[in-house]
Amino acid sequence: MRDILIIARKEMKSYLNSVSTYIVFVVFLLISGWFFSSLMFKAGKAELRQLFSILHVAFIFFVPALTMGMIAREKASKTIELLSTLPIRLKAIVWGKWLAAVGLLFTILLFTLVHLLTVMVFGQNLDYGALLCGYLGLLIAGAAYSAIGVFASTLQENQILAFIIAFVISFFFFVLQYIIVLIPSALSGFFQFLSFDFHLQNFLRGVIDTRDLIYFGTLIVGFLLLAEFILKLHNRRQER
Amino acid sequence: MIEVSHLTKQFDTITAVDDIAFSIREGEIVGFLGPNGAGKTTTLRMLAGYLQPSAGSVRILGTDIDQDPIGIAGKIGYLPEQSPLYDDMTVYDYLKFIAEIRHLDAQTFRSRLEYVIDRCSLREVIGQTAGTLSKGYRQRTGLAQAILHDPRVLILDEPTSGLDPNQIMDIRQLVRELGKTKTVLLSSHILQEVQAVCDRIIIINKGRIIADAPKDELGRHLSRETILSVELEAAQPDFEEWLFLHPEASITNRTGGGERWKLEFRYPSDSDLQRDLSQYVASRRWLILGMYKQQHSLEEIFRLLTREQVPAQPEPPIQSAVSPQENEQG
Repeated sequence: MRDILIIARKEMKSYLNSVSTYIVFVVFLLISGWFFSSLMFKAGKAELRQLFSILHVAFIFFVPALTMGMIAREKASKTIELLSTLPIRLKAIVWGKWLAAVGLLFTILLFTLVHLLTVMVFGQNLDYGALLCGYLGLLIAGAAYSAIGVFASTLQENQILAFIIAFVISFFFFVLQYIIVLIPSALSGFFQFLSFDFHLQNFLRGVIDTRDLIYFGTLIVGFLLLAEFILKLHNRRQER
Repeated sequence: MIEVSHLTKQFDTITAVDDIAFSIREGEIVGFLGPNGAGKTTTLRMLAGYLQPSAGSVRILGTDIDQDPIGIAGKIGYLPEQSPLYDDMTVYDYLKFIAEIRHLDAQTFRSRLEYVIDRCSLREVIGQTAGTLSKGYRQRTGLAQAILHDPRVLILDEPTSGLDPNQIMDIRQLVRELGKTKTVLLSSHILQEVQAVCDRIIIINKGRIIADAPKDELGRHLSRETILSVELEAAQPDFEEWLFLHPEASITNRTGGGERWKLEFRYPSDSDLQRDLSQYVASRRWLILGMYKQQHSLEEIFRLLTREQVPAQPEPPIQSAVSPQENEQG
């Protein structure tokens, strides 16, 4: 646990020292802000659902961009050799990187509170419980996207390729809700269950369902185990 | 201390390390010598636990490294090839990060930091980000990382690569000093380097160990043959007669033309032919412009060392050879 925090802290620090992080942050806020304000002022809607679905769309670009370098960069600069010969478990490396990504996500979600303020000013009958719940849901979904991103980052030395892989996997989970009509009805229940949106909706309604938590939890653990497995391929003899 | 047996590493069709075995006692400084691509880095990576051996085992401090990789990693210091650093981190942050992973407490870190900064001369760059460091400083930061936790075993992959002569002297001095209390295994492709630092030299070529001997013994072995380069001013130097009188000597290289020639003589070191040769040249009224004994190049050493095992190796053809060639074996 302590090792996870050491890695996470180092990762956060180097991200906050890097210009590209701020570029990604600004782009994220600009895009989500633009969509949000055009929806709200042009369409005259001040709904949380809109805000959350915009943020959700932005996540599938933003999270892969944030996580693409996490391990790919270590591979490119060969520091992975140093890291994997230090007395630290590969599990701690992977989870530490993931935790840093979640930390950054949390930070950026704090910035989106501006939108929230707007909704609070113009909207009516706001359900603050659902609001909090919705944010929690977004953070959890973001954590799952982060796990996908960290996994994709272990596959590649090239950050751009890592981004594309993470984006494709994330997009799969995201797009399921829209293609559900094309899927034979016998399978549609299963695919609906796989869709991120299906589980997020519950959070947005203010419901924290254990099934949703288990769903996202399984995805996170699954992808991080895969990431650990990929790192372990270097030396399968050692139980690091 | 370090025991390696039947260690093999195959990459697809290439055998990078081919069934090597050696053991290193506590307090020894051992040099791992070989040309690029000999399998040095691959071997060290397997020792450090980064690469998985295709076969064989490694025991460090009495434990199989696969039994307790984390525990072993805590007791060794490893400097990978080309000293990987985080380019966006300062030297201080980097060392602090390593200390945290190695679970050094604040007090130990302070005193060890002071020590490594001092020994690796990092004081001026301690606040600089690694991306802005020169190659020499990068290398020394990597070395500082490897010795930060005062490990019992040090594995250094080309510790002096990219350093200038003064820095090389400093690092050699440091390694010798560390070797008083620690077991050190370092790799190099420079013979003089391992001769200067190590007690024992393991020579590896094409994934196989071709020599493993104390430094002095190897030195004796290598000095059995003298290579003498002679620069001549002569119309058509012809050593047939001289070579007939000295069958133990041979000409292994002959370049030049017109009035200027450069010849390379080889003979066993116990027969001192230098004087004799210059008398012969004088008697023929040629002029010696230069005469010097040559250092054995790494390739020479391999040739010398492998000669006993592979005797029937023909000499490479000599350009514009006039004189009859003696076989090397004589």
